[in-house]
Amino acid sequence: MKKYVFVFTVLFGLHITAQNNTIAFGEKLVFSASYNMSGILTDIAQVKMETSEVKTSKSTLMRLKCTAATYKKWDNFFKIRDLYESYVNPKTLTPYLYKRDISEGGYYKFMQYKYNHKANLVKSLKRKKNKEGKTWDENKNVKISASTKDIVSTLYHIRNLDIHKASPGDQQDFTVLFDNKETTITLKYLSKETISTNIGPKECYKLALSLKGSDVLKGSNSNLLWLTADKNKIPVYAKFKIAVGNGELKIQSATGLKH
Amino acid sequence: MGKKLIIILGFIAAVLAVILAVTPFSNLAVIPIVVAFICGLSIFFISRKEKSKPKSIQYIFLMVIIALVLTVYKSVYYTSEVGDTEQLEQRDEENLEDSKELLEDIDFDEDI
Repeated sequence: MKKYVFVFTVLFGLHITAQNNTIAFGEKLVFSASYNMSGILTDIAQVKMETSEVKTSKSTLMRLKCTAATYKKWDNFFKIRDLYESYVNPKTLTPYLYKRDISEGGYYKFMQYKYNHKANLVKSLKRKKNKEGKTWDENKNVKISASTKDIVSTLYHIRNLDIHKASPGDQQDFTVLFDNKETTITLKYLSKETISTNIGPKECYKLALSLKGSDVLKGSNSNLLWLTADKNKIPVYAKFKIAVGNGELKIQSATGLKH
Repeated sequence: MGKKLIIILGFIAAVLAVILAVTPFSNLAVIPIVVAFICGLSIFFISRKEKSKPKSIQYIFLMVIIALVLTVYKSVYYTSEVGDTEQLEQRDEENLEDSKELLEDIDFDEDI
């Protein structure tokens, strides 16, 4: 009997931690991405993160959409129009469908993941364009672990973590499926910090991100993410160290918040 | 020898300044502009002592002025606004419609 009580408590506990208490339908966050070299900022693109309600005959899902579009002055040099989306359970943020539709300076790629959580399997579809403009598809079945998510739902999942219960130095690993490969992202809670943003001064959780087995992000504790230390946990500022200089993501506006 | 080195450095910086000023990285052109300007001035003073008038000064200053004008013009008149997103919006809509169809076939193993 004791065993059952224990199992029940653990399961119930997990269920509670997995609840979405942060993300609401109709939330819209707008960011400006820029390149920073020794203090000189160059604006590059506008990044938007939006949520909306999607109804199917059986259920209601939450659509998490991230778009990136370069500013006008860049369009003749390197035009980026990227779309990333993930359809998740609004209660738990478990992803069911992921799409990545990117167009970067003439390069086009489409990726789609259909999750089968029972079998821990993802049906992946990759679509590319060849030089003549014809598309070709590649279908694959990818085995994933139980907690694997796509990049978009991972971002929202991070926002839904109970960071207020963590203490500085705590870290957690996340498995992300990107380009049909599982990658581990480590998130470390560094400290609380108050920073000034376009939506006013905010007390934030300062988090460090690192990618295992990849050198895209340089340095340790130099790829940082600031989430507001309130119930909304809005990502207000992010900083990424790249080969030369820094990439920055700053919030411009935040609307439709839950709290 | 020292003078030649300054002339070469000044030229490289001036050319780099013009190139950067033309690209969307025009803000970064400030650094080579300053370097080229300092080099130009040094050559000017060195030449004055030697009482010679090298042409290179004129070229360096000309390029510095072009780069500076372009950089200032761009920083004043270019605002950060997103260009046409029609194609992106269209892809967005198409994906949404397609996703709705795909989601109809998916079995949800939890309560939604």
